[in-house]
Amino acid sequence: MKKILSMFMLGMIFSLAAAGCSAAPQVAAQPTVRATEVPTAEPLEVTDGLGRVVTLAGTPQQIISLAPSATEILYAVGAGAQMAGRDSFSNYPEEAKALADVGGSMGNYSYEVITSLTPDLVVAAEINTTEQVKALEDLGLTVYYIANPSSLEDLYGILETIGMITGNSDTSAALVESLKARVEVVVEKTRIVSFSPAVFYELDGSEPSRPWTAGPGTFIDMLIGMAGGRNVGGVLSGSWAQMSAEELLVQNPKIILLGDAAYGTTAEQVAARAGWNTIDAVKEGRIYAFNDDTVSRPGPRLVDALEELSKLIHPELYP
Amino acid sequence: MSRTARPFVILGFLLVLALFVSVMAGSMFLSPAELWQAFTSRAGGGANGVEQSGVAATILFKLRLPRAILLLLVGAALAGSGAAYQGLFRNPLADPFLIGVASGAGLGAVVAMTIQWPYTAAGLAAVPLAAFAGATLAVLVVTRLARVGNSVPTTNLILAGVAVSSFASAVTSLLMINSTGELRRAMVWLLGGSALSGWNPVLGVLPYILAGCAVLLLLGHPLNVMQFGDEQAQQLGIPVRRVRRVTILAATLTTAAAVAFVGVIGFVGLVVPHILRLLWGGDYRRLLPLSMLGGAALLLLTDTVARTVIAPQEIPVGIITALLGAPFFLWVLRRSKSQNYW
Amino acid sequence: MLKIEHLTAGYGDKKVLEDINLTIEDGCVTALIGPNGSGKTTLIRAVSGVLPVMQGAITVDDRQVNTLTEQERARLISVVPQVRNIPPAFSVREVVALGRTPYLNWLGQFSTQDDQIVENALEQTDLMELAERLMADLSGGEQQRVLLARALAQDTRVMLLDEPTSHLDLQFQVNLMERVHRLAHPMEGIERDGHAVLAAVHDLNLLRMFSDRVVLLVKGRIEAEGTADEVLREEILSKAYRIPLHVIRDSETGKSAILPRL
Repeated sequence: MKKILSMFMLGMIFSLAAAGCSAAPQVAAQPTVRATEVPTAEPLEVTDGLGRVVTLAGTPQQIISLAPSATEILYAVGAGAQMAGRDSFSNYPEEAKALADVGGSMGNYSYEVITSLTPDLVVAAEINTTEQVKALEDLGLTVYYIANPSSLEDLYGILETIGMITGNSDTSAALVESLKARVEVVVEKTRIVSFSPAVFYELDGSEPSRPWTAGPGTFIDMLIGMAGGRNVGGVLSGSWAQMSAEELLVQNPKIILLGDAAYGTTAEQVAARAGWNTIDAVKEGRIYAFNDDTVSRPGPRLVDALEELSKLIHPELYP
Repeated sequence: MSRTARPFVILGFLLVLALFVSVMAGSMFLSPAELWQAFTSRAGGGANGVEQSGVAATILFKLRLPRAILLLLVGAALAGSGAAYQGLFRNPLADPFLIGVASGAGLGAVVAMTIQWPYTAAGLAAVPLAAFAGATLAVLVVTRLARVGNSVPTTNLILAGVAVSSFASAVTSLLMINSTGELRRAMVWLLGGSALSGWNPVLGVLPYILAGCAVLLLLGHPLNVMQFGDEQAQQLGIPVRRVRRVTILAATLTTAAAVAFVGVIGFVGLVVPHILRLLWGGDYRRLLPLSMLGGAALLLLTDTVARTVIAPQEIPVGIITALLGAPFFLWVLRRSKSQNYW
Repeated sequence: MLKIEHLTAGYGDKKVLEDINLTIEDGCVTALIGPNGSGKTTLIRAVSGVLPVMQGAITVDDRQVNTLTEQERARLISVVPQVRNIPPAFSVREVVALGRTPYLNWLGQFSTQDDQIVENALEQTDLMELAERLMADLSGGEQQRVLLARALAQDTRVMLLDEPTSHLDLQFQVNLMERVHRLAHPMEGIERDGHAVLAAVHDLNLLRMFSDRVVLLVKGRIEAEGTADEVLREEILSKAYRIPLHVIRDSETGKSAILPRL
């Protein structure tokens, strides 16, 4: 009896497997035909951030974004009307919230939801794993992976590429121009300053004796420098690190930026922390909330962040 | 129905049910009629022209079915190995990760994740391969440490297993905390359930799990005899050292393959054999195959919950197994306090 | 017949038994006595194959057992150990059935003959009524009897017993050793030859009841060997146990008692 049952189970398994692996043709996702046609371009070949060659048959109309940074980039280059879905964390711009949610809050996306949206382009960023890219590829989907930019120049390149593959080259070109102009304004103003105040950017202060900050090589580190400040966390190693409160007191920043403001950290709480009242920034009341999303997501809002940083670090430049 | 056949029929039925539920449930509910249609149209060659059934077919054949088969195999592997270890170590609290498979696999995977592999077939296989290597290496180290002369006594194995596991876990944590970019990815992997997509993982684990489980099924009688201790078992004619070696080898291969592709899913290997023992006795000739059936069914059901309860979010399966396993186990334990179990 | 020649065995580098020469005949119960640490259990272990021998040969019916596999050896030699750490959820029948292990295939399938032998073993040890009970529900004496039945089911000519009566009540001690005696000396009408039995025993006072020969083991060597009368002598025992002993003979029954001389 036991043998028969085992054979039965094995037989069932094999037949199910055979059904799945049978040599029927791959089922490709079909793009929907929409009411208003957007003129389609020639088949396009680009190389993405993983070195993969991505081929697009036409202008994508059902785009899914797997990362908040990708969502912001797509909307910024004018592809908002072509979006069909986004990950759970995409909350900017406001319109993105209305799109279908494809998961991702615990590292896993719902491939079923993604498949049922029949996307013609899936955009991933560096927070997505190569396994996820492969899995989507295996489902017959076109995936474009955006590697993190290491400079603003890289960012401009990304914006142009995404603009091109979504058929919004004009919009992306204009966007890049305006971003460059805004950056130039800040750079010009900052050229004349003679001092570079120390800035402490707090990512997480739940442990006040060892708060988390951004280290060298992060966007915030780069932008603080461009805005004429000095990132106190730059002395640490690693992009996300803890600094001891003692070291912080030694560094004595003039400005404290609360990247964890969204989690409820306020200037009053910071001023009340033991020993922190000797820090210049606390004494002079220069503790400011800061929208961490603008610097943790590699997208056009980095320029927004730069402008904000400039105003906070060198307010004398903005009478 | 005979007394011996009853548990097999019950669990077999449960497994088939779990398989159906797993394949029907998800973001898009597929009724049995739709399943039948998808299977027959596929057999006929190509999906029907309607777009909706194209999506359904993709979801069924590329997502749900391979995932179900994979979880079926992994569940059987984990529970079967757990039962075998409980017999080998004469300890009802033994689980398949007792001598280092999980921590070794975790270390291997996290080490692989710190390196940016190229996007090639070989590069994509890096993490599962490293996990498999880490798992088998850990067990090798453990058996080497535990060796006394010509044999590997079980107490030594457990001690060495704890030592190696602690060390591997510590190094893994250190790596994770130092490479913040991969922290999330490593955590998801360690919680179980990350690579559950497509047929590649199924093909990857199939030979190891089938071979390993087949060997384990043959160990029922020797394990029964070994419940009286190594000395008496040997005096009754059991080649104790060989049985131990074969058991460890088979269990290690199956669990290493399972963990390499699916991450660490705890609780199944500990709870399933234990519960089944409370229900239907500890004869390993029955307990081993029953555990495999039960483990497969349990993992399929918990995964269905993990996928659907807060869709479109997918909770890592390991969390659900722990959440579901604990209270159920307590309930069965309370119910059978009068019974003897071993 | 079990023949032990020049056996030297021990643990690690330490020798516990030195140059043991002993023959256990069929149809004969040999009692193995000696103070703790003299090597009684070691001898049982070495003969049953659990402990590898350093030197010497062990033969059963002129077959060298050292070179046999565990399974082959178990068809020639069975062991009745002390009752200790019995897995509680086995039934009596299941435990006795384990005695057939050396004759089964890997899957543990029983033939009708195997079943019959198990039945016989249960009958011979008066366990038929208890057959379906769980081991945990039995008394110490009953459990020991089950282990004896298991060895019987193993159907070997040579049977070794390792202090099977050590912690049993008196009536169970007597009961068990009577059965052991009958194994070597089957009653009239039973076809088979008697077993060759070597029983390590702790208690010196019941020996005469069941043993045909007595072997005294002291510090790994045989100090005395022979009939009960020959070995159970005051001088010999006092020297072996290092305490003055007195042997009192009951001239009526022939039984003796060994007591310390105070």
